[in-house]
Amino acid sequence: MNSNNKYKILLVEDETNIQTFVSALLEANDYQVVLAASCAEAEMLCASHLPDLVILDLGLPDRDGTVFLRRLRQKELTPVIVLSARSDENEKVHALDLGANDYITKPFGSAELLARIRSSLRTSRYSAAEGKLPGGSFRCGDMSIDYDARRIRIGEEEIKLTQTEYNIVVFLSAHCGKVMTYSAIIKAVWHEPTNENSIKKLQVNMANIRKKFGAKPGEISYIVNELGVGYRMDGE
Amino acid sequence: MNKHLKNAVVTVGILTLTYGFGFLLKDVFEIWEHITTAYVFSVFLISLLTDGYVWGIFAGFSAVLFINYAFTYPYFDVDFSASESIFSAAVMVIISVLTSAITTQLKHWKTVKAEGEMERMRANLLRAVSHDLRTPLTTIYGASSSILDNYERLSDIQKMQMIGGIREDADWLIRMVENLLSITRIDSGNVKLIKTPTVLEELIDAVILKFRKRYPAQHISLSLPDSLVVIPMDAMLIEQVIINMLENAIHHAGDFTTLTLRVRTEQENAIFEIEDDGCGIPRERLEHLFTGYYDINTEKADTQKRNAGIGLSVCATIIKAHGGTISAENRSGGGAVFRFALRTDEVEGHEQQQ
Repeated sequence: MNSNNKYKILLVEDETNIQTFVSALLEANDYQVVLAASCAEAEMLCASHLPDLVILDLGLPDRDGTVFLRRLRQKELTPVIVLSARSDENEKVHALDLGANDYITKPFGSAELLARIRSSLRTSRYSAAEGKLPGGSFRCGDMSIDYDARRIRIGEEEIKLTQTEYNIVVFLSAHCGKVMTYSAIIKAVWHEPTNENSIKKLQVNMANIRKKFGAKPGEISYIVNELGVGYRMDGE
Repeated sequence: MNKHLKNAVVTVGILTLTYGFGFLLKDVFEIWEHITTAYVFSVFLISLLTDGYVWGIFAGFSAVLFINYAFTYPYFDVDFSASESIFSAAVMVIISVLTSAITTQLKHWKTVKAEGEMERMRANLLRAVSHDLRTPLTTIYGASSSILDNYERLSDIQKMQMIGGIREDADWLIRMVENLLSITRIDSGNVKLIKTPTVLEELIDAVILKFRKRYPAQHISLSLPDSLVVIPMDAMLIEQVIINMLENAIHHAGDFTTLTLRVRTEQENAIFEIEDDGCGIPRERLEHLFTGYYDINTEKADTQKRNAGIGLSVCATIIKAHGGTISAENRSGGGAVFRFALRTDEVEGHEQQQ
């Protein structure tokens, strides 16, 4: 896409030290970096550079980072990774519901950040190229979903899911790599408002899916659980 | 709202009982001269059991009114001409005011004491933490400025070593700050925790993933109940508790071969056990393990074993804020076990599906 064929990343962060080390890290890993230190600057640079991905710190000097996120989502599907402070799940959930693809908690290590970037870039390619065409299928490691036959396999073995369980897995696969909040899943699968009952219903279904997928705690098997926030189909 | 309702029920209840009892005395036993004593007692009880002054005083006036109306001549007629009714009214009001004053003060004193306890715990923590912060900061500041000022003169290996030290100590600082954040999240005990129903399996999954990132080589053997267990909790804090306990084993258990994380349910409780087969806990530490009172002066500031007291007292604070229990003991076969219990939510129908 770009003339030099590198992914272009817009880094929106006002702390100079964080800016320095993140952009050094990204450049060392063959990404092209555009820097912005405020919401206004980010909007301007986003329009002129059309980045492939945005890394967004929410605490910006001029306006809250979510303002930028909301405006970006009105026009573009550019993947956004939010940098968040640990203290609050609500902040994460809010950013994800506004359309952020992923979040990463400060302080973070280099490996973690790079993994999230790769995963988000891959997601945007999925949804752009494949969509859900008739005869479409989804592959992730050993797992495959045949959307027409409504069948899920891990390796050679077919996994028998109920209607609801299947719908949840398909919804997550359609947004592979992206954290889907509890309320997003509940809305898509049950068309219901989020409350204690519907969350419990989701948790029970997820427990059954995990069991059928043969998942063990501490070992990622296709679906990652983001405690207190939601679930994510792992694309790696 | 609820409190007012409780006070009203207590007041009306006791007054009604006394009223009925009065008729019993008057009509059945015919010893109505003791009715005033019964009312004095009921006013005392009401002042004792309700909050504030209002209910007691209200009861005092009602008592005088009842006695005057129902139990003194002329019966079933209010007549305040007699000086004795004015006298008994004064006595009732004085009793209610004095009793209320004493109980209110007692309640106030109790909260002051609890606040003082909390305050002291925080002060202790803060003292221990600020002390412990100096060592890693020395490394980070010293190493980074050495590299900047002597970049040309240092060998690559030296630079790598120093940078490695910076990362290690920064990593330690991160964990310390996580602990401190947890404490502030609980706040002074006035703010209630926001508990959300959390699936045990998802919690353990998050814990193990996080732990593995820090200690990739350390194996943990897991034992979880088969059924779906849901526990109302602040998941981020409980995650912190388990990680602190696991880390505690890594740093303090000496040479151990297995580290076990076991969760079992017993009636409405989920019991978490973190078990190692290392060197156990020294007897003199066992008593003050969770209080954060360990005397900093007896610890060498720059030993590997810093962070000891803080992690565990954070655990205790978090578990107590959840209304759970926490304990630690040495196992008979060697090693230590840390244990905490939380109340579970009953899940109706595991197979609840359409």
